[in-house]
Amino acid sequence: MSILQAWRQAATSSVGPIRGSYTAFDRGLTTKSTSNSPKELSDIAAPAQPTRDVMVADVISGAPSQLRHRAVRVYQPTRNTMQCGQAKGDRWRIDFDILQGGGRWENPLMGWASSADYMQGTRMSFRSKEDAIHFAEKQGWDYYVQQSTVKRIPPKNYAENYLYRPGTLRIMKTK
Amino acid sequence: MLRIVSTVSRPSSTGRLGKVVGSQHSRRTFASTSAKQADITLTVDGKEVTVPQGSALIQACEAAGATIPRFCYHERLAIAGNCRMCLVEVERSPKPVASCAMPAMPGSKVWTNTPLVHEAREGVMEFLLANHPLDCPVCDQAGECDLQDQAMRYGSDRTRFHEITGKRAVENKDLGPLVKTSMNRCIQCTRCVRFANEVAGVEELGTTGRGNDLQIGMYVEKTMDSELSGNVVDLCPVGALTSKPYAFQARPWELKNTESIDVMDALGSNIRVDSRGVQVMRIQPRTNDDVNEEWISDKTRFAYDGLRFQRLTTPLVKEGDRFVSASWEDALAAIAKGLTASGAQGDEIQAISGHLADTEAMVALKDLVNRLGSDNLALDQVGGTAPPVHGVDVRSNYLFNSTIPGVEEADAILLIGTNPRHEAAVLNSRIRKSWLHTGLEVGLIGERIDTTYGYDYLGGDANALSEFMTGKSEFAKKFKAAKKPLIIVGSAVAEHPDAAATYNALSRYVELNKSTLVTPEWNGFSILQRVASRPAAYEIGFVPSKKASTTKPKFVYLLNADEVDPKSIPQDAFVVYQGHHGDLGAQLADVCLPAAAYTEKSTTWVNTEGRSQLGRSAVPPPGASREDWKIIRALSEVVGSPLPYEDVLEIRDRMWEISPTLVRYDVTEPTSAEVALAGLKALSVRTTGAKISGAIFQKPITNFYQTDPISRASVTMAQCTRSFVKGENYGFSDIGKAPEAAFA
Ligand code: SF4
Ligand code: FES
Repeated sequence: MSILQAWRQAATSSVGPIRGSYTAFDRGLTTKSTSNSPKELSDIAAPAQPTRDVMVADVISGAPSQLRHRAVRVYQPTRNTMQCGQAKGDRWRIDFDILQGGGRWENPLMGWASSADYMQGTRMSFRSKEDAIHFAEKQGWDYYVQQSTVKRIPPKNYAENYLYRPGTLRIMKTK
Repeated sequence: MLRIVSTVSRPSSTGRLGKVVGSQHSRRTFASTSAKQADITLTVDGKEVTVPQGSALIQACEAAGATIPRFCYHERLAIAGNCRMCLVEVERSPKPVASCAMPAMPGSKVWTNTPLVHEAREGVMEFLLANHPLDCPVCDQAGECDLQDQAMRYGSDRTRFHEITGKRAVENKDLGPLVKTSMNRCIQCTRCVRFANEVAGVEELGTTGRGNDLQIGMYVEKTMDSELSGNVVDLCPVGALTSKPYAFQARPWELKNTESIDVMDALGSNIRVDSRGVQVMRIQPRTNDDVNEEWISDKTRFAYDGLRFQRLTTPLVKEGDRFVSASWEDALAAIAKGLTASGAQGDEIQAISGHLADTEAMVALKDLVNRLGSDNLALDQVGGTAPPVHGVDVRSNYLFNSTIPGVEEADAILLIGTNPRHEAAVLNSRIRKSWLHTGLEVGLIGERIDTTYGYDYLGGDANALSEFMTGKSEFAKKFKAAKKPLIIVGSAVAEHPDAAATYNALSRYVELNKSTLVTPEWNGFSILQRVASRPAAYEIGFVPSKKASTTKPKFVYLLNADEVDPKSIPQDAFVVYQGHHGDLGAQLADVCLPAAAYTEKSTTWVNTEGRSQLGRSAVPPPGASREDWKIIRALSEVVGSPLPYEDVLEIRDRMWEISPTLVRYDVTEPTSAEVALAGLKALSVRTTGAKISGAIFQKPITNFYQTDPISRASVTMAQCTRSFVKGENYGFSDIGKAPEAAFA
C-alpha cells in the first residue's frame, strides 16, 4: 500500500513548479510517478504503472482538496449473476469508498437516506484499466486496483450428457 | 398474420460475406498437437476464431464477440438444449441450429445476426411468451430478467394466441423459507433441475410431464434441503424462482452494488453486497473460478437480515447489573480505569479473537497487547487458550495447501473430522463435481455425515487413521495408488483431545508418501478452516506463548468473541467486548464497544487457502459504531501506549512487515515442498508419543444456519433452522388452503 504514499509524495512535490508556471501547461507540467517509487513496491501486488506522463488536473479543476484524502477503487465489475448478458462486462470502473460516520444516515423526517458525501453517487467507467488509473492519477486520487476475477470455463459438449462412465452410477438425472 | 420484417433493425450479413472467403488456409491440423488441447478455427460473422476442440458452437460465438441469447445454456451446468433461443445460421445447414447443443466444427461458417436467425428467435420467443404471464410489474425479477430483455429485442408487441382456456396455470411449489416460487412464470429451461442434480446434489428436484405440461417440482411435498439452494434464484432466467426474504423489498435499479468478501465461512467467497440507503438489501455471488465459481451458500446469501437486529450502536458501560450507554470517551476511560483497577500485569492481560475479527483489528490488538507486556493471545475456540498443536511457524501446517480449484485435480480424497458440506458448502460442490465427472474416490474418518457424494467410511476416531495408515483397507490401497491424493483435515481436529496424536500420525504418513502427497506441483495435505478470521490469526501469530497460556487472566479483551465458554473467564476479571452484535460475548462484558460488521468496513480477510482479499464497505456502520482497528488505536492512546499507525495505509504497512502475503491481495502463495515437509517434520517431532484416547471426531457444526452472531440474529436463518434442521412445518406448506394473495 505504500505505493499510494509514494504517489502522494510525488504528487505534492509536483505542485510547486505547477504553481510557478501556469503558462506552459500541457507537456511541461507533468510528473512521472514511475520514477520515484520506493523499492518495496515490486513486492506488493502493485498495478502495472502506466507509462504515460500524468498531467495533474486537480490543480486547476477546482475540486475540493479533501478529495485527495479519499481512496477510490479501480475494478472491473463482475457480471450480475442474475443474468447472462455479457455486454459492458469488460469495462473498468472507478468509484469512491464510502465515508465512515458522516457518509449516510437515515433522515428522521421521512426515513430516506441522506448523505453528506457528494461523491457517493459518482462512478465512472473506462475502457481499460490503464485509462482508469491514468484518470485517477490525473485527479490526484489515491487508488487501489482490484484484480479482475479469474474465469475458467472448460469446453462444453452436449455429448457429455451421454458419456459412459464405468463403476456405479453416480448421478440420477431428473430432467 | 404476416409479420413485416424491418430491414433497419436487421443488419444483413451479405456485406461481410466477402471477407470470409479464403479463411480456410489457416486451419490447423490436429495431428500436430496433443489430442486434448487441439484447437479448431471457424468463422463467426466473418470473424475468424480459434477455440479448443470440443467446444460448443455458442462458446465459439462468444469468443468472436457475438452475443447469443440463451435461456437454458449455462456455463457451469451441463448442456440441455431445450429452449432453442440460441439459434444461429450455419452454412450449408438447411435449418437454424441450436448453438449450445452443436459442437463447433472446424472451418464452418456461422452467422449470428441474419434475418433468418432473427425470425427463428422471434418464433421461439413467441412460443415462450404464449404462456408467460404479464407479471413484470409485480415480479421481483423485473429489471434483471433475461426473458424481459430478450423480449425487448425478439418479442412481438401483440399475441397471436387467443386460447379460450387462457394461459397455462401451474401450482406453486413450496421449496422452503428461502426460495419463493411462481411457477406460472417458468419457461422450463431446467437450469434449476440441472443445478440441483449436478451441483447441489438434491436429486428430488425434477420435472414431471412433458411439453406444455412439463412441471418443475420436488415430486413429493418436500422442501429443497440444500445449503446451496439460494443459487437457483440466480440461475432462473425468469421470475419463477425468486428469493423469499427479498420478495418485494427492492428493485435492482435502486441498489448500489459493492464488491466485497464473505465471512460466513473460511472460503472467502466473493460477494456483491447490494444496498439501498443505509441497509443491505441482498447479497449476490460474484463469479471467481479461483474461489467460489458462481455459487454461494445460503448462509452467505440470506443471513444479511441479521445485520439489522441485535446491533450494538453505542458504547455501553456496566453499572451494577445493567448496561448504561456512554460516550466513546467515557467508555475508553472506563476501560483504562478497569485495566489499572484489575491490577493485570504482563500475561494477565488476555485478548481473545473471535470468528468475525478482521485482520487489521487483530494486528492492532496483538500489537497493543504485546505493548502492554502480554503474550496471552487466545482464539475463540475449544482449547483456544493454548498454543495450537500444528503451530503457526509454517504456513502449510494450517492452510488449505492444495488450493480450492486444486480439489478438482485430486483423484482420491480423505476427509478427516470434517463435514465440508457445512464447513465450506461451496467447496463441497467442487468435490461433488469432481466425484461426478472423474473417478474420484472419497474416504471419511470421523462422525458419519450426509455428504452430496458417496464415501468409504473408515471409522470415527484416531484409531481408524492408524488403521488407514497400515494400508490394508480397500480405500487405503486406492489412496496409495492415486496420482494426486488429497487429505482434508477439518479445523475441529486441532480442537480434539487426540489432536496431537492425529497430527503426528498424519505428518508421518505424509512424510512416507511424499512422492505423491507433497511434490513441487502438488501439496495434498490441506487443513480446512471453518472460521473466516482463523487463517489470518495464525498468519499474524495471534496465539499464546506456552507460559502465557497457563496464566489466569485478570483483564480480558474479547474481539468479536461470541463462542467463549463463560466459565473460562475468571469471575473477578475485567472484561471488554468489542463487536457488532449483542450476543454472548457482550453479556459477559463490563464495557461493550460497538464496532462495524463485515459489510461496513473495508478490511482484509484471509481465506483457508491463505488468499488475502480486500472487502469493501457497502453501508456505514449504525449509530456510534466505528471500524474495529480504529477503536483499538483510540484505546491504545487512552491506556498510554499509542500504536504507531494513524491511517489504514500505515496499518497495512505494518501488516506487510508481519507477513507480505497479508497485503498481496487475490493471490495464493504456495509453500515450497521442502518447507512444507520441514514443517511437518517439526510437527511430528513435537508431537511424538502422544496417546490416542479414541474419542470420535465430532462434527463441529450441528446447525449450519446459525454459526455466528450475524446468522444467529437473522430471522431467515431462524426459519431455516426450524424447517431444515428441526424439520418443522413453519406454515408455508398449506398452499392449497391459504388465499392465493398470500403467495402472489
Ligand atoms: S423454474 Fe426457472 S430455472 Fe427452473 S426450469 Fe423454470 S424457468 Fe428454468
Ligand atoms: S440456450 Fe441453446 S437451446 Fe437453450
